[in-house]
Amino acid sequence: MNPLPLTDADLNAYVDGALAPARAAEVEQVLAKDAAITARVAEMRQQNSALREALDPWLADPIPPALLDAARMPQASARWRRFAPYFAAAATLLLGVASGWYLRDVTLERGGTPTTFARQAALTHALYAGDINRPVEIWAAEEKRLVTWLSRRLGLAVHAPDLNGAGFALVGGRLVAGNERPTALFMYENADKQRLSLQVRKQPPGTSEVAFRYAIEDGVGVYYWIDDACAYALSGQLDRAQMLTIGRAVYAQLAAAETGTPLK
Amino acid sequence: MSTEPSLPHPELLAAIPRLRRYARVLTGETTRADDLVQETLARAWEKRRLWAAGTDLRAWLFTIMHNVFVNQRALARRDAQNVSIDGDEDGNAAWQIPVRAMQQTRVELMEILREVGRLPVDQRVVLVLAAVEEMRYEEIAAVLSIPVGTVMSRLSRAREKLRRVAQATPTEPSTLKIVK
Repeated sequence: MNPLPLTDADLNAYVDGALAPARAAEVEQVLAKDAAITARVAEMRQQNSALREALDPWLADPIPPALLDAARMPQASARWRRFAPYFAAAATLLLGVASGWYLRDVTLERGGTPTTFARQAALTHALYAGDINRPVEIWAAEEKRLVTWLSRRLGLAVHAPDLNGAGFALVGGRLVAGNERPTALFMYENADKQRLSLQVRKQPPGTSEVAFRYAIEDGVGVYYWIDDACAYALSGQLDRAQMLTIGRAVYAQLAAAETGTPLK
Repeated sequence: MSTEPSLPHPELLAAIPRLRRYARVLTGETTRADDLVQETLARAWEKRRLWAAGTDLRAWLFTIMHNVFVNQRALARRDAQNVSIDGDEDGNAAWQIPVRAMQQTRVELMEILREVGRLPVDQRVVLVLAAVEEMRYEEIAAVLSIPVGTVMSRLSRAREKLRRVAQATPTEPSTLKIVK
């Protein structure tokens, strides 16, 4: 077999996962033999990941109200009357999603009422779990970098609990601009491609603790609890018993981490 | 239920952070970037009948943003003919996103942001769409209305430039200049 010579375009496409499998296999044959090209590929990968790491924090910037308004269906007056019911439904949805940014979670802060938190967690879960290509910002392959980054942005040491025992592997995680405080999201997936997310955020000092609670928001089941300085929400479209089992596993692991037992 | 076509709000909201980021990459500054996002969202609502439900909303929004950007620039230059971002001399000016907006403390990340900001805008956007947005080459070609071959050659040139910079300035903090 005598493959065509490698071009720079081949290497770029290889790094970006854009090569046809046959050609990618040829590239891999060359990589196995050529240290210089292997180094070049590693360098391009490093460049990609540095770029993502440099630009991803921009995603967590709070969204200006003008842009939240612009995302709303424009209301020409005649149209408004004709499509009022639809618009009202859309506005409700928008309010739910935007409440974190816009109302700054007044409800939660004032009364320690976590209703808003559960709803927000469910909507956030629905947004990202449904994203086939990019459910997370950083994939599980770079778990250490993910955890370091999220801990730094939250100002809180976070961990990605190991849910392999329940059949759910870590997909990765992201930062969510759901609040004036950033929220960390870890995404998990099982063999049936069902996804779970665990969201963690810091609570203001003095927030009262909340024991395990369960809510169904827009078809998404959410177990949530507030513990010391953190609020947690486990969201997914599984049955309640399954969610509870996993929720307990998460809670136990986090409690172990807090008391200094190393997580494995 | 009304049959009026609409755009899915949660997805539209979820796309805003990415639109803002791409707008910053395009315009090189934060205020113009948000204006561009606002105009893009307005245009998306106007053209909502053209969005095929179930297709990638993000790619569609990016395409709109690119067109809005090119048109705005055409108006600014009063030169409606043959305008594109290709071979754009403005792109050679370093972007003016303040360090604070970059939220970066790590020196090597600030360095790479600075170098990306120095790439010509046509190479910069292709690099960001491929490496950061992880779009397929065909998607990038569609967003920018250029052939796939052009996407690949720009990408290759952008990476080559960053590489030369990285090699020319090894990680010695003393040689770094602070981005103003």
